[in-house]
Amino acid sequence: MERECCLSHSHVVRSAAPAAAAGVFVAAGLICLSGCASHADRLAQVRSAYFANDLSAANAILDAGIKADPREADVLKLEQAIVSLSAGQPQQAEKLLREVRDRFDELEGTQLANTASYLTDDQRRAYAGEDYEKILIRALLALTNLMHDGGDAEAFSLQTIAKQEEIISAAGTEQEKNPKLAYQRVALAPYLRGILREATHLDYDDAERSYVAVVNWQPGFRPGPYDLERAARGTHSAPGNGVLYVFALTGRGPYKQEVVEVPSSAALLIAGEIVSAVGSQTVPPNVAPVKVPRVVRPPPGATQSVAITVNGQPVGTTETITDVSDLAVRQYEAVFPQVVARAVARRVVKKGAVVGAKEMSGLDKGSLAGFALDMAGVAWEATESADTRCWGLLPDKIQVLRVELPAGEHDLALAPQLVAGRPGLARNERISIVNGRNTYVLAVVPDTAVVGQVLVSTP
Amino acid sequence: MSLEKLARFAAGVSLLVLIAAGCRGTQYARVIQPGQTEMVGSHAAGQETFRPLIDEAVVKLLARHESPTHMQVSTGPELLPPPKMRLCFVGVENKTAEEIGDFKEQIYESIDSRLLECGTCAPISRRYVEAGLMQTRIRPSDLFVPDNMRTFVAIMEQQGQPFDYLLFAKLTSGTTQENKNYQRDYMLTLELINVQTGEQDKQSAMISKGYHQSWIGKTWAQGWPWSK
Repeated sequence: MERECCLSHSHVVRSAAPAAAAGVFVAAGLICLSGCASHADRLAQVRSAYFANDLSAANAILDAGIKADPREADVLKLEQAIVSLSAGQPQQAEKLLREVRDRFDELEGTQLANTASYLTDDQRRAYAGEDYEKILIRALLALTNLMHDGGDAEAFSLQTIAKQEEIISAAGTEQEKNPKLAYQRVALAPYLRGILREATHLDYDDAERSYVAVVNWQPGFRPGPYDLERAARGTHSAPGNGVLYVFALTGRGPYKQEVVEVPSSAALLIAGEIVSAVGSQTVPPNVAPVKVPRVVRPPPGATQSVAITVNGQPVGTTETITDVSDLAVRQYEAVFPQVVARAVARRVVKKGAVVGAKEMSGLDKGSLAGFALDMAGVAWEATESADTRCWGLLPDKIQVLRVELPAGEHDLALAPQLVAGRPGLARNERISIVNGRNTYVLAVVPDTAVVGQVLVSTP
Repeated sequence: MSLEKLARFAAGVSLLVLIAAGCRGTQYARVIQPGQTEMVGSHAAGQETFRPLIDEAVVKLLARHESPTHMQVSTGPELLPPPKMRLCFVGVENKTAEEIGDFKEQIYESIDSRLLECGTCAPISRRYVEAGLMQTRIRPSDLFVPDNMRTFVAIMEQQGQPFDYLLFAKLTSGTTQENKNYQRDYMLTLELINVQTGEQDKQSAMISKGYHQSWIGKTWAQGWPWSK
């Protein structure tokens, strides 16, 4: 107050005009900064092309997106990896996944300290991936590697297990303070390790340990107890036989949606009113709601599972080893309060900056210049939008079926089993089973039919 | 808090955020030269445990089976080197409370290399062992069923890899809890079995590790401040 008394009226008039002009300039600049097309729009186009089995169109949109916005490049490369995998290029898919894995690791821990994102929104920062994405990158690396040489598949599955433990333990050890302790684990990783160790015909103890994890982490996986029993007492396969593993990436996976966080908006409104009433400056009114991203599960897909037929004989249907949507939604819900807190902190920083600018300019409460700054503040806050960047071509579920077959050539048919109870469009492949070894087949079935190619590999 | 103070606080926070934004999440690495301090597994066994276990167990087991350097042949004056132990190293079994992950392969390879280097053993290549087990579909633990043993020996002979001994390695652990801290004893047991006579020889090596929740707990357990 003493300082305010010392300020002359003419000084206030002199400083008010530049302050208002600065406010308008800042608001205009920020509107330009955040006026770009959202990731959600681009992702919708990619998903639409991909689900329609138009892989080249999906790739073209992704290429354009990567060139247009470096901040989106990493997450778009994840989509490109899925497109490459479907196009029968597992090596290319692996290269992209490795690149993004390393990039996300590099960005880990730097995200809270991104100044630009506090002044605009989270889309100003490089995308470091959600926890579930970091884990699933490694799980899909293992699966992708199996579809060509398979030499690194076990290492990738170990990395998946290690990464999820690292993410959880980094958030603290106390039950009540660490929301990540509730994270669901990805059973695909120990499952892959189990099938690889079993195929050595030597390391059944490792396979057994891995299947114990599978049974614990994915209790709904019905073949789990049989796998465990086989690893504990049986053998990989009978002499003269090999094993076929059919992996299916079914359904449309989770994605992020912008939602309005109503309680936070209301709390900020009340807080703003209190500060405006008791303070020497008004706080920009809370017109713009607090927007946050939320991971949502898509409506149930058309395909429930994939029915497998060998030489005209039905041998079974694929079972869910990892429910990707469920995993993503549950992991994200566990940390959602932190996402909201970040959005609220950003809003507080913006309001504080406007009030600070008014204080430093020595504006009177209720002055025209102060009003102009408030309006600029409102415009600034209105430029915020939720960061909906996410890995949008993930499947809803990762499923698998294990079949022991005599060594030799076989005719394989994969038919999506639709929710309506009827079979979808079947895809036929000629496969070769090797005595004592594993053969892997991978199909992506986001809707009623296989997208792209069915991959077959005997590493 | 006055708004002026609030403004200063906001400016201060912004400055901190700006400084922190300059730090990227870069990972660093170094080559650990022989003699330099190596890392010690803080939550599970690592090289500090497995390496000495392997060294001790292998050296002691082989010391008992060392042949005289030369053998006198009764009909002539010439000295011939003693025959090497033809040995089939079946594998490492992990029965500890921990997942040893990528260490298992390294433990196998370390033991196999030491057997080869010692000069008294002729271990069969692991690739032949895996091929033999794959062909017969016998689990390593089932090799002691007489029929299985005969089948396996016959298959290995067909591959040109006859052997006299089977070698098994097993890792076990025992855990002693003391409030939040715990001690874990790791034992590596090498079991050598003569396939003709069924005689066995066994050598174990043990290392105990203490895991502590805090630096103070670790220092206290080491005897500070009473120890020298």
